[in-house]
Amino acid sequence: MVSARGLERIYGEGEASVQALDGVDVDFDHGLFTSIMGPSGSGKSTLMHILAGLDRPTAGAVQIDGVEITDLDDADLTQLRRDKLGFVFQFFNLLPVLTAEENVVLPLTIARRKPDQEWVDQLMETVGLADRKTHRPAELSGGQQQRVAIARARVTRPSVLFADEPPGNLDAESSHQVLQLLRSAVDEFGQTVIMVTHEPDAAAHGDRLIALRDGRLVHDAPPVSADAVIELLKTLG
Amino acid sequence: MLGLTLKSLLARKWRSAMTALAVVFGIALVAGTYVLTDTTNQAFDEIFVKSNEKIDVTITGRERVDQPDGSVPAFSDRYLDEVRAVDGVSDAAGSVFTPGSILNDKGKSTGAPFAPQFISSVLPARLEALNYVEGRPPRKPNEAALDEAAAERGGLRVGDTIRLVGTGAALPYRLVGLTRLGSASFGGSSISQVTLPVAQRITGKRGEFDQISVAGKDSVSPEELKRRVAAVLPESLLVETGTENAERQASDVRDGLSFLTIALFAFGAISLFVGSFVIFNVFSITVAQRTREFGMLRTLGASRRQILRNVLVEGLVIGLVASVFGVLVGIGLAEGLSALLSGFGIDLPGNSLVVVPRTVIVSFLIGVGVTLVSSMIPAFRATRVPPIAALSEDILQAGGTRLWIRGLVSFVLGVAGVALIAWVLVGNIEGGAGAARIGAGAVCLVVSIAIFSPRLIQPLVRVIGWPIARFGGLTGKLARENSLRTPARTAVTSAALMIGIALVAFVTIFASGLNSSVTDVIAQNVRGQIILQGPGGFVEIPPEAVRDAEVVQGVEAASGVRYTQARVPRAGGTAVASVDPRSVDRVLEIDLVEGTQADLRALAPGRAVIGQKLADEAGLGLGDRFRPLTKTGRRPELEVTAIMASGNLDFLGEVVVSETQMDRDFGVKADFFGFVRVKPGENVEKVKDRISRTLDRPYPTVEVLNQDELEQRQREQINAILALIYVLLALAVVVSLVGIVVTLILSIYERTRELGMLRAVGMSRRQVKRMIRFEAVITAVLGASAGLVLGIIFAFLMGIPLEGEGFVLSYPIPTLLAILVLSALAGVLASVYPARKAARLDVLEAISYE
Ligand SMILES: Nc1ncnc2c1ncn2[C@@H]1O[C@H](COP(=O)(O)OP(=O)(O)O)[C@@H](O)[C@H]1O
Ligand SMILES: [Mg+2]
Repeated sequence: MVSARGLERIYGEGEASVQALDGVDVDFDHGLFTSIMGPSGSGKSTLMHILAGLDRPTAGAVQIDGVEITDLDDADLTQLRRDKLGFVFQFFNLLPVLTAEENVVLPLTIARRKPDQEWVDQLMETVGLADRKTHRPAELSGGQQQRVAIARARVTRPSVLFADEPPGNLDAESSHQVLQLLRSAVDEFGQTVIMVTHEPDAAAHGDRLIALRDGRLVHDAPPVSADAVIELLKTLG
Repeated sequence: MLGLTLKSLLARKWRSAMTALAVVFGIALVAGTYVLTDTTNQAFDEIFVKSNEKIDVTITGRERVDQPDGSVPAFSDRYLDEVRAVDGVSDAAGSVFTPGSILNDKGKSTGAPFAPQFISSVLPARLEALNYVEGRPPRKPNEAALDEAAAERGGLRVGDTIRLVGTGAALPYRLVGLTRLGSASFGGSSISQVTLPVAQRITGKRGEFDQISVAGKDSVSPEELKRRVAAVLPESLLVETGTENAERQASDVRDGLSFLTIALFAFGAISLFVGSFVIFNVFSITVAQRTREFGMLRTLGASRRQILRNVLVEGLVIGLVASVFGVLVGIGLAEGLSALLSGFGIDLPGNSLVVVPRTVIVSFLIGVGVTLVSSMIPAFRATRVPPIAALSEDILQAGGTRLWIRGLVSFVLGVAGVALIAWVLVGNIEGGAGAARIGAGAVCLVVSIAIFSPRLIQPLVRVIGWPIARFGGLTGKLARENSLRTPARTAVTSAALMIGIALVAFVTIFASGLNSSVTDVIAQNVRGQIILQGPGGFVEIPPEAVRDAEVVQGVEAASGVRYTQARVPRAGGTAVASVDPRSVDRVLEIDLVEGTQADLRALAPGRAVIGQKLADEAGLGLGDRFRPLTKTGRRPELEVTAIMASGNLDFLGEVVVSETQMDRDFGVKADFFGFVRVKPGENVEKVKDRISRTLDRPYPTVEVLNQDELEQRQREQINAILALIYVLLALAVVVSLVGIVVTLILSIYERTRELGMLRAVGMSRRQVKRMIRFEAVITAVLGASAGLVLGIIFAFLMGIPLEGEGFVLSYPIPTLLAILVLSALAGVLASVYPARKAARLDVLEAISYE
């Protein structure tokens, strides 16, 4: 369970300061797929960074599974990432020198844990890359690369998966596959997914849709349909 | 993680290789020096062990006062009978071994110009170490033997005639045998053997020996024999076992070579220092380029330690690879260095190269150490990359060190550097200790400049880049702006070049100062228009040659000058010269502070003219008496009759005595220079020719020079050493050029997209090339001008304490400008490959990159 209380984040000082988050309270239950939406500059990425312990709030606190992460030092945060968190980036961020499979098990390698080969095989199967294990990122399409990134995020069986605009600039087919994979993490493994997106279609895959505007939470409900989401976004401006 | 590190290293093969190259030269110089000296030392060890194989005990003169040529005094032959009478001695014989000249029948030297040649006497077969590979030992006074290698070099065979020069005229001998010492080679030196009486006569050692060699009965151990022999001999003689003697001689050679070793190590250190700048730069750039990757690894759970290790392991691997190549190149270099040195007459013996584990271990420690230390700061910078860097769209630059820290570190280092150098200059610290402090001070200063220089880069590049921006069109302007984009990078790259150029400028100015000082000294002190000297000015000449010159038609006066070292109470080792009082005031100009020229003419045994410096140091004034200890162990009493101005580059040392006294009490029997004054109205060149013709037959080794030629010779020597230093400094300069190449390539790689854009909007390949070339030239000229300024300052500072010794600094402006132009050209050269690479970029690929 991830929970945030009174989050504020101010960038810069004085005249030029920007209030990216302005008092956000939000909880994310286990086994739920939450989409975060909002206009550009509304604070989505900032919120996610703070939830994931990548950035510190100016005020407020974040707990992950009961641990106050805003107080943790670098070493403890590192340990937390190894144990509990997974990340999927907009830019796939694969290491070009490693094969697809090596990229997938990288978090385990870093943590000096032995990969469970069966689990890795199953993951590769799930993301549809069982026959691409030894390919390098340069030999994979954008969609395939993003699927490798998702497998990598899931390989440690994290309790929370963070994704910042994961479909990025993928074609419709690929982005559908990517979203399906996040969905299955929730449905089959009971993981928590928190995804920032600006695509109504993507948001429709989630169990819950929250929306931000000017750093404030302005909407929190299950998504209805893609069209309804579009309407919602329009009202947010 | 290790696997990942190695893989990413491999993926950057090219830059890793260039990084390694930056230290390979330095390591190679260190390894090569070790190999060279080990090989040489081993060869000499072998020579000395072989020479003493049949000898149980040796007796030699004890060194009382260090002599620059390492010679020890000969001793009376009357001790031989006393040694023979010692119980346990089975054989004992005296011998002579003295530097001399070995010539062929035509009077031409049989060896390399500066290679040492020796005249020695034959020992009885039971003590003799040399084997006769052909012929037999000389038995009659007109017979001689020669070592096989020298015979080969001189194209001589048994039956030919050779001429030997000791302290007298060249005399002919028939070659009756060729010798060899075990399997060892003597390097470039030659040894000719004659019978003992002949050797004593022609080396001016009548009734004297350089050594007595003793073989003992089997029943007595060498140690016991040594004790018994020592008991009957005076303190002035040194008694050693054969083994001890061999070890001492070997270690003397080692000490003699240590100067060379230290000099070569110093150049290795300079090259490594420059290399460390290059490595630092490559790692800094690489870390900046990998910011997002490091951030991503952090989000995947990598700790700071792991990131640190990742970068340092790269440094380690590069260091290891560099060390492997460094050692290999070093072994090759040892051959090259030995060839280079023999080109300067420093011939080193040696059969096969000696590579001991120490050579490899030290090379690896240095290679890995330098690489690790240089990658330390970039590695720590990498650990400061936050995980969030993985998610940001534009690459975050890992934060640089805060300005005030930079400023402080730079300031502290700068002050430390100046203090270290000032300490040496003010405190008059001499020798290795002084040099080490100056070196450390220079390192501090250079690092201080490198740290601070990003602040200075802006205005400097503006000035240096002005002509390029003004006349180079758009590409010129862009080039200048590009150099300013990452000032730290430009600063470090040019600082690397600055070091090499500063040293080049320093030695150039210094050598030019030496040259003009030599000219001044000769012009001010030498009134004789003609000078006689031994081969290359390294060897003494027979005093008879000066006497013969004196009676040549047209000569007004001729006087020989001899040199030695003696120990003066309260002043220590002091250079002593002797003159011929009859003619000294006509051939030399001696500037007296107290006393008159008449006192010079009245110089006789028991009297001395001393320098102002010695007078101050030893507290001596006119009429005072002092007793210097001479190399033969005497303590003649001398009365100060005049005081001369010091500061003539030791031309006459600090004590001047009469020739008679030099001969009798200081044990120097040959002249170093002969100065000849031509009668007024006589044509100098004609008289010189007459002297040459007179001396040619009896004294073929004597060089007859006019003042210009003498200056020329001195200058040639200085320039030969200068050339050697240039070659060694070139290594450091090449390393810094490698630095320019890598830095350019890395920044081109970074700017791929931008270059593609420029090409897309119409920039031609040629313009791209030109832009890159301009960037390289700006960096090179920046480094070179900083180096020149630094070199000039250093030379100026170093010149201050030497001023008192007659050293005059002079600035060879055209040469310094040439260095600047050459550096700009070197910049162009360094840009050839990067420019071609940039021009070859595929436009489409470049703009759709990422
Ligand atoms: N590193 C930063 N420094 C200064 N302002 C920032 C920074 N990151 C984000 N902002 C500002 O904070 C606000 C929220 O940004 P962000 O969370 O990235 O929005 P979103 O992801 O919803 O587009 C924006 O106004 C943005 O300009
Ligand atoms: Mg965003």
